[in-house]
Amino acid sequence: MGASPFPDTAAKHWILSSIIWLTVVDLFGLVLATEFVTPEAFSHFSWLSFSRVRPSHVNGVILAWLTMMYFGALFYMLPRLVGTRGMWSERLGVICAWAWNVMYLLGIIGLLTGHSQGREYGEFIWPIDIALLVIWSANIVNILATVAIRTIRPIYVSVWFFIASPLWLAVDYAIGNVIWRPGHVWGAPSGALGNSLSDAMLNWWYAHNLFGLWLTPMLLALTYYIVPRVTNTPLYSYTLSLISFWGMAFFYTGVGDHHILQSPTPAWLKTIAEVSSWMLLVPVFAFTINILGTMKGNWDRFFTNLPLRFTMTAFFFYFLVNIQGAFEAIQPFNKLTHFTNFVVAHAHLALLGAFTILGMGVIDYIVAQVYAKPLYSRSLSEWQYWLVTVGFTGFFSVLTLAGFQQGFSWQEGIPEVNVLPQLHAYYIARGIFGAMIVLSGIVQIVNIGMTIFTNTAERRRIETLRVAEAMAPPPVAG
Amino acid sequence: MSERKREEHTPGTPGMPRGWVRHPHERMLITPLVAGVGGLLAFFTVVAIVVWLPIHTFDPPPSSDWAPLSSTALAGRNLFAQNGCYVCHSGYSRPQDVRESLYFLYPKISAPGDFWGSDQSPNLLGTERTGPDLSQESGWHPDDWQSAHFYDPRYMDPRSLMPDMKSLFSNKQVDQLIAFVEQRSGKSGLLRYAGQLYAKHVVLVNQGFPPPYTGFQGSHKPPLESNDKILAPPKNQLEEAPNLAQIDRSYWLAGDPLPVTEANLLRGKEVFLDRCVGCHGLKGNGSGPGARFLSPTPADFTSADDACCGGDTGPGDFYYRILRGWPGTAMENFGDRLSVDDIWRVVLFIKTIPNGTLKPYRNPEPNDYIVWQPSKELLAWTKSHQTLPGNISFEKKAIKDPFMQEALRVMPGLAPKDRLLLNDGKTPLSLRDAANGIKALYEDMLNRAWSDAKGRGEKLPPESQKAIAPTVPGQQ
Repeated sequence: MGASPFPDTAAKHWILSSIIWLTVVDLFGLVLATEFVTPEAFSHFSWLSFSRVRPSHVNGVILAWLTMMYFGALFYMLPRLVGTRGMWSERLGVICAWAWNVMYLLGIIGLLTGHSQGREYGEFIWPIDIALLVIWSANIVNILATVAIRTIRPIYVSVWFFIASPLWLAVDYAIGNVIWRPGHVWGAPSGALGNSLSDAMLNWWYAHNLFGLWLTPMLLALTYYIVPRVTNTPLYSYTLSLISFWGMAFFYTGVGDHHILQSPTPAWLKTIAEVSSWMLLVPVFAFTINILGTMKGNWDRFFTNLPLRFTMTAFFFYFLVNIQGAFEAIQPFNKLTHFTNFVVAHAHLALLGAFTILGMGVIDYIVAQVYAKPLYSRSLSEWQYWLVTVGFTGFFSVLTLAGFQQGFSWQEGIPEVNVLPQLHAYYIARGIFGAMIVLSGIVQIVNIGMTIFTNTAERRRIETLRVAEAMAPPPVAG
Repeated sequence: MSERKREEHTPGTPGMPRGWVRHPHERMLITPLVAGVGGLLAFFTVVAIVVWLPIHTFDPPPSSDWAPLSSTALAGRNLFAQNGCYVCHSGYSRPQDVRESLYFLYPKISAPGDFWGSDQSPNLLGTERTGPDLSQESGWHPDDWQSAHFYDPRYMDPRSLMPDMKSLFSNKQVDQLIAFVEQRSGKSGLLRYAGQLYAKHVVLVNQGFPPPYTGFQGSHKPPLESNDKILAPPKNQLEEAPNLAQIDRSYWLAGDPLPVTEANLLRGKEVFLDRCVGCHGLKGNGSGPGARFLSPTPADFTSADDACCGGDTGPGDFYYRILRGWPGTAMENFGDRLSVDDIWRVVLFIKTIPNGTLKPYRNPEPNDYIVWQPSKELLAWTKSHQTLPGNISFEKKAIKDPFMQEALRVMPGLAPKDRLLLNDGKTPLSLRDAANGIKALYEDMLNRAWSDAKGRGEKLPPESQKAIAPTVPGQQ
């Protein structure tokens, strides 16, 4: 059994935490899907009330599952890209991972007991916000220090995002949560601007940049790493990477107001948001072409290499979500789909279809590398892939249809409650597809757990020997 | 730096990997400094435009409809925010909402000035309408409907998806939430709520009911009963007259336009089971699970000569109450949810309930239908009260006074010259009384909210804003 030359202790802590959180936040989602079908399912538990679980699900997906997965991947990739023996301080990374877990656990307990700021995507109360920013800053220090002690001077495109993206998010989170106005520290109103409409504009600017300046750039960074690495092919174009980096910085930052396009906010801001949402396609296409160019001649590995298949599936959904989002962000289309399940489908296309599927592949890849042994079971990985891909595709399709059903009905003046019976079948289907997604996460936990706790290298050796024996020619008589 | 000089230095650059070939785009080479500081510069440039600029230039003055929240309502607003109610209920109505659903849900478009003031923070605009928008909700339902609905939304609307709040809130908290819902829609909402409160007062006095339970008390108390002893209906006045005052008088004698066919009755039963059983009960006797919260209690349709089929309440009255609701009672307006024909079908069906048509597997048949005959007293009352002169139903004069507009909304059956007494024998009822009562309630609520806001030390607009009269959007 070979050993990895890198310690990767920080990466292990963040990654292994993240796969547990994935199942937890998936289960929150399943609770919500159940409540859409039978609203009284958990009515005796105040902490499982829809309105409290929903923020826990959303914040959990972003801050517990995806953020921990991203930091884990970052702590794995950064030393390899800049030529250091691990992070500047692996110990700091481990401490931060534990602190992050505790911080998030407290935050979620707060949300489930009704301690929330009441601002969508910024629900965590002020003390949790501060804890989050402290840990985040420690991670930034760790990243920048690692970059500073690098031995490979030029920095690869993934590292641009590893440097810029945490910085963007730290500032975004601090401004968006209005941390200089703690207000009533243990609940609402806190962390909000005094002027309601300004607060709304800030709220949605911030919320969209959780995706625009953290989750999406990190998806790019990870894809820029995984695809050339697995296919053993240099990245197609440096210039396109430049366009995707600077395009993201300039165009993604200003799209937030497209969440409140028909609200009484300034029209010029809506125009900026709409135009930026379309300009976004420039970095998106730059990235797409860059990855497709790198994949050229390598598509056979899409079928044989599972991490690459996860990554390219996520890449496809990422492309789709941007095209969809651009249309959704303009007035005529927005008038039809806003407030409906179409938006929920769109959000899941990004966070589940793109980021989560990418994360699953990256974790499968990284775990095999840091433990320097093959994954426990290829067929479990296949199950994981198909469960999440089919589950998500079904989930996305039914919610999109449900969204059109709502939008067209409302357009005819039919009130919300009259549309509910027509949505029932969609909600049941959403629950079933959602359960497949939960199952996929559990399959991954089993697979990763068995990889860590059993000697898979030996298992693989015996399997190979068996195959070799079966294929060996029969012994010659005499 | 010349090309040659650079080449010379290349091999000596520390940290440069062996075999490193300089990239042609070296001028655009990104260093950590460029990525970090440059990235932040790009970020802050955009932030200055899309965050700093709008926040510092967009400060619309309070709209004429704006009103502050009372401290109870503000406590309710915080509960609303803390418990994530905004994830299903948006907090502003869009231009197309008003065009599409002008009838009841969204009578006006939210204006920038409606969100003025620090009691509107944090924002509750929301991004989802799993439930309806609540920015215009004030006054459409009375408080007792709200508490039953918070306890279990299916009591009030069997179709609802809303989680029940029985394990979430105490009695006091529910009352705060109700206060928020009833006061959040600005002055026009306060006016509608004042109309609702005034109508509640009229209905309770007229029918001898005690005030409804507050909070969730109704969940464990016996249903309220009317005290007939305190009633002394005035002579020379139809006993049903104060109730009829809440129905446009052109409906008093209206018959059902649909024929009594099995199909119509069956559809009526379907709609009844779909929408009405939470309050009126599976047996139609007015004791559905929500009934214990309500005062007056829901109508009992099982007796052939009482609230169902006899008395002075005809099919037209039933139609009007389903279409527009009965302000002051928990009876909602179903005009935005049911088609005109479906409402008439429910009216047809209700008049078969005494013959046991609500039993399971029992299809209503045309001969179950009980034909209503208006009493002599009603015919005489109609004759003296449905004359053309002085009758608002037949005149379409614009009324400017918003309080009179609201009085007409809750008392559409009153003519301007009508002077009635309620059935306690002493409380007067006329449009003028109603308008004055509504005005008093409205001003009291507005003044209390202002003094609460002042007490909280909030920034308030000049007093002249308070004096701007409310409007009745979408109604007149």
